Amino acid sequence: MRRTLALCALVVLALPAQAFGHASIQASSPSSRERLDRPPREVTVRFDQSVKVFPYGIRVYDVKGHQRAYGWRTLDQGRVISARVRPLEKGPYTVRWQALSADGHAVSGVFTFGVGVAAPPPSDAFGAVGPTTTEDVVRWLLFVSLALLIGGLGFRLLVLDGPLPSRLEGRFTVVTLIGAVGALEVGVAAFLLRAQGALQLPFALFLYGDLSPFAYDTRFGMAFVAMTLLLALVIALVFLAWLTERRVLLWPAFGLSIALASGLSLSGHSAVDRGASTWSQLADWAHLVAACLWAGGLAMLLVVFLSAPELRRRSFIGFARLAPVLIAVLIAAGTYLTVLRLTSLDDLWTTGYGQVLLVKLALVVAALAWGGVHHFVVEPRLDRPGLLARLPRSLAGEAAVGMAVLLLAAVLVNAAPPVAPADATETAARVQAAP
Amino acid sequence: MTVLAVIPPSEHVHWWFATGVLLLGLCLLARAVVGPEVWDRRPWRRYLWPGLTFALGMLMFPVMVLFTSSTLHMLAHGVWAQVMLLAGAASLGVAAGKLKHPAWNLAVPFALFVSGLSFLIHEQNPWLYSRSSFGHHMAGVVLLIGGLFPLALAWRPRWTPAAVGYALVFVVIAIVLFADRDVAPIFGHLDPDAGAPHR
Repeated sequence: MRRTLALCALVVLALPAQAFGHASIQASSPSSRERLDRPPREVTVRFDQSVKVFPYGIRVYDVKGHQRAYGWRTLDQGRVISARVRPLEKGPYTVRWQALSADGHAVSGVFTFGVGVAAPPPSDAFGAVGPTTTEDVVRWLLFVSLALLIGGLGFRLLVLDGPLPSRLEGRFTVVTLIGAVGALEVGVAAFLLRAQGALQLPFALFLYGDLSPFAYDTRFGMAFVAMTLLLALVIALVFLAWLTERRVLLWPAFGLSIALASGLSLSGHSAVDRGASTWSQLADWAHLVAACLWAGGLAMLLVVFLSAPELRRRSFIGFARLAPVLIAVLIAAGTYLTVLRLTSLDDLWTTGYGQVLLVKLALVVAALAWGGVHHFVVEPRLDRPGLLARLPRSLAGEAAVGMAVLLLAAVLVNAAPPVAPADATETAARVQAAP
Repeated sequence: MTVLAVIPPSEHVHWWFATGVLLLGLCLLARAVVGPEVWDRRPWRRYLWPGLTFALGMLMFPVMVLFTSSTLHMLAHGVWAQVMLLAGAASLGVAAGKLKHPAWNLAVPFALFVSGLSFLIHEQNPWLYSRSSFGHHMAGVVLLIGGLFPLALAWRPRWTPAAVGYALVFVVIAIVLFADRDVAPIFGHLDPDAGAPHR
């Protein structure tokens, strides 16, 4: 065995110097999202190994979709591909590149630059498609996962603090980990869907698509990086809390979970649309966290009702005390964001965004009424025989409405809010002025 | 791309993980040589290799999100991160006596099989195309076959040849990782299509 091992090691070590599998982009000129004062005469992309350039291997598009590159060639022993560019006017431009890697795979990518103007993020490159129904569903799954994670941890620490029966502790850990792992997986899917929307490549080519500009140069990419790392940490903390029976570890996990939810606020409408400010991002974050604590808390309450009858009363009363605070935050932040995003009241029924918002508000009112019945009607009568045993169905119904609210929130996050008439005029003027 | 400035070279990352995997293999080899009874005499030693696997899984997450030169690489790193975390967590749970169902012992062979498949799927060139393709194929095959050792140990925990084989899987993987990204300018690529040697 040892002789074989030594032989294998020698064979591996004697093989030729490294190849990175396929070529990776090292730099480009202009660089991704660079703002230039003068139009470039040439666009170049440098790789870490030699590549072959395709005809039309570098395409430069203006906002109207006119292709401006010509004269493709390779330089520096095939490590650089370049294309000349016809004279460019002031405006944003999209570069789509493709090269044949030395390993026979076609590698592709996209980046943007601006001449005299700021460059848009690569996700808004020319030819990129907007959020699809699949992205709405994925975003919803992300919200549901975050609700299970944040709501589960919040419920354990704020409602049912203290030692629990081992069976319930185990179920709590499982639900919370499902939320954390789910958020991790769905986050990856959401990132890839957004990148695919911008790269516009068939699946086989997308596998070799360069994701770096999306990971480093876009808000959602940076949110993806931060959220993935924090989620990994949260998973470790929740697991170690269960393994070592040290509940104190759940507090940093809870703090990190709340913090990572800000990634969605920092990369959404509240960060970039009309009226975006630190306050709008804070309001968005508070809105999301309160919704997650409420919907996820309801799910956890249901778990307690189904697995620990002796704790039903305590958990119900505990959650009834927390819920009004969450609802107050939810309504205050939601109202502020609605006022900020809608240009007038009739946007609610004249625009697609407003109509979805209207349905969401109706569902929120239904959920609040349901919660109100639990708080004002059920809670004072908890001592009545058989009442607690009948509650799980009602709780499941309220939680289901909460999940439906999250679905509409996901649709709203991916939709564009209405544009004010002044903004629309300004945009139209910009388009007309563009070449 | 300012983030690129702080990302270490790919070969450094491979070497760090190779060191971690080598330590893992040496722990398992020592356990196989002295026997589980002697190894477990000190309680902390029971948690040594599961804890190391768990830590390696955690450290793979930054690699997943920072090395995004292709979708395939990001997904492969993500798979390795998650299966290492799963294998480490399951082994820690078993070592601590918190996971009692025998099925948890299958987490490690499952992780090895999935890792091996991931190596083979993400390397689409033949064995002798280049140094890294050889390394990827070798790692994939070793992990797929090597997964049989912990599978055997799940049924016969005291079978020494399986324990030794299990440990050697990690030693071989460590060697492959050390060699896979060696930047020494020795030899050339085996296949002319691989282009000029670089770095």
